[in-house]
Amino acid sequence: MTTTTVTKRHGLRRLENYLPPEGVPIAFDIAGLGARFGAQFLDILITFGSVLALVWFLAWLDLLGWSAFVTLFVLLIFFVRIPYYVLAELVWNGRTLGKRMVRIRVISADGTRLTPYQVTARNLMKEVEVFTPITLLFGAANFQWPVTIAIFIWTFGTLFVPLFNKRRQRLGDMVAGTLVVDQPKAVLMPDLTEAATGTAKSARFDFDPSHLGIYGRYELQVLEQILREPPKTPEARTRITEVVKTILAKIDYPEHVAHAEEWDFLLEFYRQQREYLESRHLFGDSRENKFHSRGPGDGGTKNPGGQTPRT
Amino acid sequence: MTVAANTIAEDDAIRSTRFRKEREDGWKRLDTLVTTAEKRGVQGMSYEDTLALASLYRQAMNSLSVARAISMDRALLRYLEALCARAYLVVYAPQESVTGVLGRLFTHGIPQAARRSGTALFIGFLAMMLGAFTGYMLYLQDPAWFFTFVPGGLADGRTPSASTEYLRRTLFDTSTRSSEALGLFASYLFSHNTQVAILTFALGIFVTLPSFILTYYNGLILGAFFAMFAQAGLGYELLGWLSIHGVTELSAICVACAGGAQMGLAVLLPGNRTRRAALRDRGRDAVKLMILAGLMLIVAAFVEGFLRQLVQSTELRLVIGWGLGLMWLAWLLLSGRDGPRS
Repeated sequence: MTTTTVTKRHGLRRLENYLPPEGVPIAFDIAGLGARFGAQFLDILITFGSVLALVWFLAWLDLLGWSAFVTLFVLLIFFVRIPYYVLAELVWNGRTLGKRMVRIRVISADGTRLTPYQVTARNLMKEVEVFTPITLLFGAANFQWPVTIAIFIWTFGTLFVPLFNKRRQRLGDMVAGTLVVDQPKAVLMPDLTEAATGTAKSARFDFDPSHLGIYGRYELQVLEQILREPPKTPEARTRITEVVKTILAKIDYPEHVAHAEEWDFLLEFYRQQREYLESRHLFGDSRENKFHSRGPGDGGTKNPGGQTPRT
Repeated sequence: MTVAANTIAEDDAIRSTRFRKEREDGWKRLDTLVTTAEKRGVQGMSYEDTLALASLYRQAMNSLSVARAISMDRALLRYLEALCARAYLVVYAPQESVTGVLGRLFTHGIPQAARRSGTALFIGFLAMMLGAFTGYMLYLQDPAWFFTFVPGGLADGRTPSASTEYLRRTLFDTSTRSSEALGLFASYLFSHNTQVAILTFALGIFVTLPSFILTYYNGLILGAFFAMFAQAGLGYELLGWLSIHGVTELSAICVACAGGAQMGLAVLLPGNRTRRAALRDRGRDAVKLMILAGLMLIVAAFVEGFLRQLVQSTELRLVIGWGLGLMWLAWLLLSGRDGPRS
């Protein structure tokens, strides 16, 4: 039914191949359990806090009779348990106030839009997973020990459900077919080829195919990462020098690169290397990493960028 | 982009850079539109902006697809992925109005779900009736069972040792008829009963059993109560006292149990599908049953809080109670036969 896959990198789970109706797969970061716990905690704090504040305020005003006052209190407490979450996630598109603060949101697992049914279902289950265990835990001291143990097993059992599935779904998410993901952040970085000072004709450094045919996509993107953080400390500058030396040795570049020119050299190398690799790619010659020349079935496929080759 | 001075520089730029330059303005525009929509919702945007949002979203999706094929700039790819994901979440936000959702739910969704859930509803009502039967029989054997089943707070002095006169007074109590107190009572009942119902429902996911037990337990209390009053010769009066709200309230608990049973059955007997898929599928009806139960509890609380104290004739209580029950039944059986399956 769903085509999504989950990959794990640096402890972050990423939901890939999420297919919107447009047919272009996109990816989401699955929200961490800490963030979700935090959001739930904030929600409880906000809702119950505001009910208490309101009640105190009304008591201070002293306008309502005792029974009207208690009626209001009972209804408010009821409202902030399930209905608040359903309404908030409907109105703010999968975000309660707590989720907004920690920047996570609910999405439908199958690429369609979030339906009111899904929002209702996942939050009704909250009664079993969150509220009843909490209420019981507060009263745990009053029960006999077998009941207390049962309550603890229940509480921690439901708490650990998200740990035991790849997509970090709690029971309500499974019933409703929803996922909780991080709110995507989009930052447009400058194009590094624009930063290279020279154009193709007046380039200070000129690389020919024998120089550019060594590296592949992986090394190019590692270089990109290096270039996105200009060196500020002396240690970083020595690291740049090392990188330049490694590249020079590897591609067997005849010229000497002066210390002051190193950054420009890297930028220029990046530009020409990217142009070269991209055009090879368009011609059907995709080079994933520096082992590409060994051909398919050899080292090239065994190390699809997973290993860390030195630049 | 067609300025002559630019063209020279562009020709020198590599292909993926030119690609980016041509589309960058659109992405940035989309970025600002999405940011506004995230903050204030699409409803707050102008007509032109909404139109632009939709078309820019499709262009960005297109850009992402092309960029994956031609560009090796990882920062660009990450940016486009995040931008498209954000725009997707804004464009494919839930669009139903709250009133539209509710209207469809009442005219088609709930009745159809109830008609599809025969087995689960059977389980729900069976649990209650078995409980009531057991409670009744056990009480007849030994009235001491009453104290085992009924929590002290609920009994409120109505114990096997109470006099017939006292029991009669609890059925026809007129002392607390001030409307304020009744409102409080109704709201308390609603809140309490709904939480019981939600719990009954949600526990169903653990293979139905907890729902069944909770409902069975409710039945036990009911049976024991009934047996106690019947022995005191007040069976008919108790029936009236219970019927006026109980037909709706107890049915609501059974319906909530049925909702739980729907989910439990999906876990227990998924058929040819995976458990997760079965759960997702059956969950739809289960949630609708739960909403139905909540609705019935609101009505029941109102009737119990106000009408039961105001209406003192047993016959009238029976008529109101079972009349209400018939109305629920008629709604669930007859409504939404025409429309599409929802």
